[in-house]
Amino acid sequence: MAGIGGADTTGKKVGWGLLNAVVVIYALFPVLWIVSLSFKSSKTLADGNFIPREWSLENYQNIFSTSEFTRALINSIGIAIIATAIAVVFGTMAAYAIARLDFPGKNLLVGVSLLIAMFPQVSLVSPLFEIERSLGLFDTWPGLILPYITFALPLAIYTLSAFFREIPWELEKAAKMDGATPGQAFRRVIAPLAAPGVFTTAILVFIFCWNDFLFAISLTSTEQSRTVPVALSFFTGSSQFEDPAGSIAAAAVVITIPIILFVLFFQRRIVAGLTSGAVKG
Amino acid sequence: MSHATAEKTEATADEPVAPRKKAALSEGKKAERRLGWLLCAPAAITMIAVTGWPILYSILLSMQRFDLKFPDRTEWIWFDNYVTVLSSKYWWDAVLVTVVLTVVTVAVELVLGMSLALIMHRTLVGRGIVRTSSLIPYGIVTVVAAFSWRFAWTPSTGYLAEALGGDPVLTERIPALMVVSLAEIWKTTPFMALLLMAGLALVPDDLLKAAAMDGAGAWQRFIKVTVPIMKPAILVALLFRTLDAFRIFDNLFVLTAGSQGTSSVSMLTYNNLIKGLNLGIGSTMSVLIFLMVAAIAFIFIKLFGTAAPGSDNGGRR
Amino acid sequence: MGATRRYRLAVGAGAAMIAATTLTACGSGGQGITVNVYKYNQENFQAIVDNCNTKANGRYHIVYNKLPREADGQREQMVRRLAAEDDSMDVLALDVTWTAELAKAGWIKEFSGSVKSQVENGTLQTPLDTATYEGKLYGAPDNTNVQLLWYRSDLVPTPPKTWDEMISMAESLVAQGKPGLIVGQGKQYEGLVVLFNTLVNSSGGTILDENGTKAIVDDKAVQGLAALKKLATSKAIDPSFSNSTEDPARLLMESGKAAFELNWPYVYAAAQKKPDFAKNFKWAPYPTVSGDAAKVTVGGINYAVSSYTTHPDESFDAVLCLRGAESQKLAALKDGVPPTIRSVYDEPEMVDAYPMKDDILKTLENASVRPRTPAYQNVSTVISTILSPPANIDPQKTADELRQELQNALDSKGVLP
Repeated sequence: MAGIGGADTTGKKVGWGLLNAVVVIYALFPVLWIVSLSFKSSKTLADGNFIPREWSLENYQNIFSTSEFTRALINSIGIAIIATAIAVVFGTMAAYAIARLDFPGKNLLVGVSLLIAMFPQVSLVSPLFEIERSLGLFDTWPGLILPYITFALPLAIYTLSAFFREIPWELEKAAKMDGATPGQAFRRVIAPLAAPGVFTTAILVFIFCWNDFLFAISLTSTEQSRTVPVALSFFTGSSQFEDPAGSIAAAAVVITIPIILFVLFFQRRIVAGLTSGAVKG
Repeated sequence: MSHATAEKTEATADEPVAPRKKAALSEGKKAERRLGWLLCAPAAITMIAVTGWPILYSILLSMQRFDLKFPDRTEWIWFDNYVTVLSSKYWWDAVLVTVVLTVVTVAVELVLGMSLALIMHRTLVGRGIVRTSSLIPYGIVTVVAAFSWRFAWTPSTGYLAEALGGDPVLTERIPALMVVSLAEIWKTTPFMALLLMAGLALVPDDLLKAAAMDGAGAWQRFIKVTVPIMKPAILVALLFRTLDAFRIFDNLFVLTAGSQGTSSVSMLTYNNLIKGLNLGIGSTMSVLIFLMVAAIAFIFIKLFGTAAPGSDNGGRR
Repeated sequence: MGATRRYRLAVGAGAAMIAATTLTACGSGGQGITVNVYKYNQENFQAIVDNCNTKANGRYHIVYNKLPREADGQREQMVRRLAAEDDSMDVLALDVTWTAELAKAGWIKEFSGSVKSQVENGTLQTPLDTATYEGKLYGAPDNTNVQLLWYRSDLVPTPPKTWDEMISMAESLVAQGKPGLIVGQGKQYEGLVVLFNTLVNSSGGTILDENGTKAIVDDKAVQGLAALKKLATSKAIDPSFSNSTEDPARLLMESGKAAFELNWPYVYAAAQKKPDFAKNFKWAPYPTVSGDAAKVTVGGINYAVSSYTTHPDESFDAVLCLRGAESQKLAALKDGVPPTIRSVYDEPEMVDAYPMKDDILKTLENASVRPRTPAYQNVSTVISTILSPPANIDPQKTADELRQELQNALDSKGVLP
């Protein structure tokens, strides 16, 4: 434990290093399998070897040979970012209200949002399709963004309200007594402490939007709004019935990169809030 | 707080007049209410606008005999669909499989997720690498991951099957379920870990240091200090993970397509609703799944008591 | 309050972004008539569409809209939109088993008059049967498919003629320690239903009655089940048979571990990529169960016209071109799908691409069709569930179970597995 149970000896560092290695291997081994599949030529694809005997870039060339995949990438990135931003904003507002304020309908809202999270999405897809068709939202970005926000909100609200609950009310009081306006109190004191929750929620919502298949396949029809998971289901092998395992693996590698970047960017901020000096004892 | 004192004086002023009558709301209280509604409005409106009619429609459909292939036979039959589904052996087989998968995966993920969260939070070296790489499994598109697992477990094309002596694990019920569980656990432990790690971040170091100075060992510090403070985060993680696990679909679909008796309730619903175009039965299953999931959520919230969001005044007073 | 203002800004910015993307997302307008074709991703289909657009000479413009690779995914997308009476779909590429279902629901138009005779003229009979329901023609056959027996000529000097022969040859190879596995499709999916249909029809049995409303599964069908069980429990069957689809079967054969393969002709083109393997890779007609020829299940694609199209005449016209002899030849040579128009088989280029075309034609003359009923999805799901895993089949008991569950499925009673 960092500085709690004793000094940071080299022994401790090595111990943690080993643990880290175990975690990384466990997490990445199957991923490396996908990466390896993506570099195999179509002849050696099914030879069962972990390391490709024949390295080839043909799978990557294949997926970028038309504009379909690139277009799907753009759609995915745009839709996921917008949906995440809005869901986090709406969710934070609602979570703050639920955790801090008292108003009638609070428990109802919490219950209803849980209800929405629980209802099987497969039976909501067809009615949603018909609504969107009549509103002209079918096969558009908002057509996907709205359902994504809706189904991300329950998790966002629950996670964020759990965090807001933990933040001591006294801090806000103390800041106001020190002369800060409510806005300043929020920005300087509360927001940094809420940061872990907000960034955690952002990561989870982003990944949800990024990976969703059910809504994407039902509410899109052309390149205009088709996202990556759906585009993958359209890939074809070089002949009938042939599973395009190589192309799918290559596409999977490509689409995981934004996730890695997103997570790398946000993971530091999850703990950053704690050390910003609010908890002085 | 200024409006707290205002409230108090109002209450005492009211008391001699009508002790049991509902006191008029103070300006402060009204403002608080308005703010509360205002802040919740965007979320509430979005959620209800998008899902209100679809959910209602599903419930209505579940009480009708409605098969898209035979549209002229549609009729209102109240709860007959429910009787049909609840007396079907396929339904109960699927429930059993689903419950087993849920219990196994969530239990393992709680333990693994907590360990992972502790490592991600406390590690002295390579923080960024550990955190990022442990989140990657969750970030990979599920169907792709499932596809690669299937490839890996099929004898002659996959390294895992070869390593185990070439046995076709996916062709028998129990081994197939174990493979599916493994795929699920690998994929969604990061979800638990992330939520738990964020919960860990809220535990003040000073408390732990104080406990250490009082002589508490690492395990005692964990159980007596860390876990109680993390209760809300654990609830959220467990609750949402269980709800999702109960509705497992993607991994099953790709790995076994529900064959050899490995169908889950979601797969059954998909088969009846989307493939069989039987809107009546499919919607009935959806409602039943919803009820079961709601029961689980109810149990969790009761178990965790005051840790549910909004259930108390959140440390206000 | 600074916080609320900032939130409002954020919401406003978000709304502005959404508005901007909506505006850029519309604007697909064009003049003239557009015929929207919905088909799975076929590699060279765009070339066929371009050809037909040139032929259309401005009367209409065909646009190729892609559908998912898997048949189930295609059906899901099309049915959802047809059920919602979506008028933006004109021509649909349907799997041969969907004709009855879509026709009965009133979602596809009947072919009549001169269009019908143009479609029927020169087209092979069995594919036409798959596009027919209750005596009316609802589709124009585009490509077709039948399975053959593929074998390793270095291990098997003369190919087996009967089912039992194939199994015993394979078993003796395995006993000698040589690669002698039989590979096929035994996973719980449509491929298993295809195999079952082949074996039942080859034994002279029937699954459903002619109207598709009553489940028969007679004694000869029990023989078909016995043949399936014999294969699945043979010492020479691929251990992953009950989890194997078309491609894993092909891959296992190409890895050299198998001697016999039951699969579609696409495996020939794929095998040519491995010359060492291909030189010993030969084909023969499907092994018979009883009688002198097997009745192999036919696969393939038909074009149908949506009932909700706003341009029926142009759609039918487009169909005639898209599945015309020239288009079929291109598809056959470039995309590896056997044609449905007899004359295309006689084209000189077909000899190299389809050295097995004579066997294909002969098999097609005697081929069988999967049960034609609007409840086909239900029927297929029930069959594939009850027959899984194939090794656990008890011919008489399984037949009885099938009969009962199939009747339930046809009456739309009860829960689908």
